[in-house]
Amino acid sequence: MQRTNIKFSIFKYAMLSLVAIFVLFPVYYMITLSLRSQSSLWSKSTLLPVDSNLDNYRAAFENTDFKRSLLNSVIVCGTATLIAVLFSVMAAYALTILKFKGRDTLGRVIIIAFLTPGALLFIPLAVIMANVGLSNSLQGLILVYLSFMVPLGTYLLIGFFRSLPAELEEAARIDGASRMQALWMVLLPLVAPGLVSVAIITFTGAYNELLYSLVINISPEMRTVPVAILNLSVADEVPWGRTMAFSTIAALPVMALYFAGQRFVVEGLQTGSVKG
Amino acid sequence: MSRNTIESSKTVTSKKRDGIFAPSSLFGYFMMLPAMSVLVFFFAYPLTYEVWTSLTNKTLGNDAKFVGIQNYIALFSDPEFITAARNSVVYVSFVQGGKFILGLGIAILLHQKLVARGFWRAVVLVPYAMPGFVAFMVWKLIYNPDVGALNIFLTKTGITDAPIAFLGDRTWAMASVIFATIWRGFPFWAIMFLAALQAVPKELYEAAAVDGANAWHRFRNISLPGIRPVILIVFMLSTINTINSFEAIWLTTAGGPSDATVILPVFAYRGLAAFQIGESAAAALSMVPVAIVIAIFLLNKLKKD
Repeated sequence: MQRTNIKFSIFKYAMLSLVAIFVLFPVYYMITLSLRSQSSLWSKSTLLPVDSNLDNYRAAFENTDFKRSLLNSVIVCGTATLIAVLFSVMAAYALTILKFKGRDTLGRVIIIAFLTPGALLFIPLAVIMANVGLSNSLQGLILVYLSFMVPLGTYLLIGFFRSLPAELEEAARIDGASRMQALWMVLLPLVAPGLVSVAIITFTGAYNELLYSLVINISPEMRTVPVAILNLSVADEVPWGRTMAFSTIAALPVMALYFAGQRFVVEGLQTGSVKG
Repeated sequence: MSRNTIESSKTVTSKKRDGIFAPSSLFGYFMMLPAMSVLVFFFAYPLTYEVWTSLTNKTLGNDAKFVGIQNYIALFSDPEFITAARNSVVYVSFVQGGKFILGLGIAILLHQKLVARGFWRAVVLVPYAMPGFVAFMVWKLIYNPDVGALNIFLTKTGITDAPIAFLGDRTWAMASVIFATIWRGFPFWAIMFLAALQAVPKELYEAAAVDGANAWHRFRNISLPGIRPVILIVFMLSTINTINSFEAIWLTTAGGPSDATVILPVFAYRGLAAFQIGESAAAALSMVPVAIVIAIFLLNKLKKD
């Protein structure tokens, strides 16, 4: 018995180590290549970190277009996240706590919008945005991003509101609180983890978005980060060191945010898909 | 007559309680208004517009003229569209199969007694935390024949003599893109499955152990039925995301070599870039039947809960 346990332990940790290599190697390779020049890549083919220097990072911070695209991404995703969280809380609250005619239908509409692939709507959205003069603008991109962030946020928050005891709101009302007071002082503090989780999930969703940004913001000064990185390549020629340095800069803050809020993110995904 | 009166009085009182103009209803609509405005302007309207456009010969700068289902007929006789549809099915099936096997296997591994389980779980989350556009640029690099890690490894160890252009060779391109997509997407499955496994009551396992069930039987008869609802929901949500994965293809192969990895969103994007708006709208809408099947399934599932 003891021996099989030890064997099983070795097996477990060996498998976990394989998984860790599988998962972490691309990150390792991204970072080591971001520290190398194009000529070093061609002259020395090795998986080890050699010829490391910070030139590619210096190039990134001297590149005004890239800095501009980072700023664009922060403005678009930050603003859209604030709006999306506000709208989603209102809708999720109404759909779970309030009773009104047509509630189930509206709830179904939210879920249908949540389940609609973004690739379905990029054509009409691009044409409509051009027609109303909002293409090539950060405002236009914010509005378009709300189209997937609000249904996603509402869907996730419905799960959080549903996990609250049903009598909670009624009890607060009996104690003399108005609906708004009950929402603000009793319900919202309890769904606070949900708000953090929705903020992180919708923010990263918008930050990672490529297709809408590609078709709606065409001019270089309105690019977001994914499009800027795509545009580092000229024809089939990819400046790998530079692309990896820019990618590392683009990825690290978001990954840090993700891991700082890991507890909330995991809880949000589980509440959304399990209790949904 | 009297029956009629009773019925109508009943509807009157119920209307009073939760009619559209009841105070509580008004508050409900007020709270729904912002989200619904977003959906009307950026979901319902574009969708209607797209259906209309798909029935016209709209190109950029030209006025749209109604042509009926001509775009759809043209689409289904376009070999590139047929290739894109077939590739989509292959891509989504293998990606989802791979994510399921890897996700379930790693969830079971993480469910064992472990030192520092939180650390291992965080490691597994790394690909999911990485922005998709970064992940796929890195995989494009790994597959590169000149400076890519995979080719350096294969030639240094002598497994192959010459480097392989994984993304440029018809035999390898689809498999390579599928593998990269699995890498990026499996953590969602693993984390959801792990949570579901942890929610299965421990007493069930103990009872089964007393009855002499072995590990496989316990997995087959307790774990698997216990996590079945989660498997279904994760499968649905992830399938929608995978049908949608424009960036995975666009950043790695852009649909090449010679259309070997074109999937429907890439096909539609190429159409838009060529200003064939009516036709590419029809192509995008051809993804709808799949989405509808999934949506109906999920709505029924949620209603039951």
